[in-house]
Amino acid sequence: MKIILDTNLCEAHGDCVLAAPDIFDLDDDDNVATMLIAEPGEEYRTQLEEAARMCPVAAIRIED
Amino acid sequence: MATKMSQAELGVFNPETYANGDPATFGLPLESFKYLREEEPVCLHKFDDPLLVPELYVVSRHEDIEMVDRDSETYASGLNSVNFWAFAPIGDAVGAPAMLTQDGEKHRETRRIVSRAFTPKMVKGLEDKFREYAVAVIEPALAKGEPFNFIDDIAHLMPMQALGDVLGVPEEDRPKFFHWVDQFAAPFDTRITPSFEDVGKAIMELFGYALDLEKLRKAQPGDDIMSKIAEAGLPEGEVRGNVVLLASGAAESTRTSLGHGLHELMRRPDQMAWLREHADDIPLTAAQEIVRISSPFTHLCRTTTKDVELHGVELKAGSIVAMLFAAGNFDTDAFDNPNDFDLTRSPNPHLSFGRGPHSCLGKHVAALEIKILLEELLQRTKDIRPAGPISYIRDAYSRGVYQLPVTMEAA
Repeated sequence: MKIILDTNLCEAHGDCVLAAPDIFDLDDDDNVATMLIAEPGEEYRTQLEEAARMCPVAAIRIED
Repeated sequence: MATKMSQAELGVFNPETYANGDPATFGLPLESFKYLREEEPVCLHKFDDPLLVPELYVVSRHEDIEMVDRDSETYASGLNSVNFWAFAPIGDAVGAPAMLTQDGEKHRETRRIVSRAFTPKMVKGLEDKFREYAVAVIEPALAKGEPFNFIDDIAHLMPMQALGDVLGVPEEDRPKFFHWVDQFAAPFDTRITPSFEDVGKAIMELFGYALDLEKLRKAQPGDDIMSKIAEAGLPEGEVRGNVVLLASGAAESTRTSLGHGLHELMRRPDQMAWLREHADDIPLTAAQEIVRISSPFTHLCRTTTKDVELHGVELKAGSIVAMLFAAGNFDTDAFDNPNDFDLTRSPNPHLSFGRGPHSCLGKHVAALEIKILLEELLQRTKDIRPAGPISYIRDAYSRGVYQLPVTMEAA
């Protein structure tokens, strides 16, 4: 599963960090989201779908 | 098809509907919401009142609200009033543009500046401070040893202190600051705002104060939003607009949620018992469910930037669309048993914080405030019960609770 995180769109709302805390974090200056695991396994799919859905600016896409 | 209901029968934009709301249905006209979702998912409403917009289309289904809120190119924020009032304390018309009245790059720029004060990490850092505030407001109320109004004595004070910190309002200024916010937040309830002139006066006071606050934070910067705004050098109008936006967004809505939440907990002993069992660390689902059934703002409006068709209804460019969040929060297509108050509900895709680029900046702060206040309250009490009926604010936009008399037995 490949996750595309568009940091140009990201506004650091932080919804992804709550939805998928194992995958997303905010960088040290809290400017943009970052990914803790580049290509997460299937076990994270539900979390990731929730993160993609919750992102207010649609900065997260899942590519199978 | 059900018998057609008129706008008057539906009453979803009538302040009396909410003032006289049924406490057994969260004070909400759930039957009207159901009718709208099922029979007229895009429903034209017309108003003949200089204080209200001339007409708007009500969108009530969960999926439609989410779509409108996310598609800010088609449904813009900066072209008309933010709700069904024809006037607003923010926007270009009053020389106070704010994030909620801006679109595209301009919106993104400001949001980036202030969002850094609202990230989950920043919010986590506020926890100890919030706990101190919670204890400081709860203990005097409990010490009274007699029934009190939960709204005035607890729910009002907690967000005031919390928001004061986040925004950077000095402690001594907080009471007057929140008094102004209350005046324009409930302009149609004469118990709070005696006349419409008071609304204008309160807004002007807050506008003036916003600029003073910016100066203060420029000289003495902190971790708060005002310091970030001062550092970024936003134009004066935007300083005014965003202070009003943030103040009204945070003060009122958290208080509203605490009020509806506690009321519902007292109605539902099973939910209260569950919460008491978890009082040392209340799961996040609880605050989210409270925010869902509270639906602190019934709706927000957008304006179409081009002709669009939605469920067979033609919306010309420039049409006002009201996203009826409160109706979407009880949509059976998005929630199992939506009329049930379930603190363990998960997932809980409620719309109370909005869903798109304009979604609530303070959503993590609000959830933390609710969690901490309830934890401290339940740990300090054996029993909480009603001491009289709940009464609601007379308003069809903001769902405030006016009084919630309670008796609390200290633990």
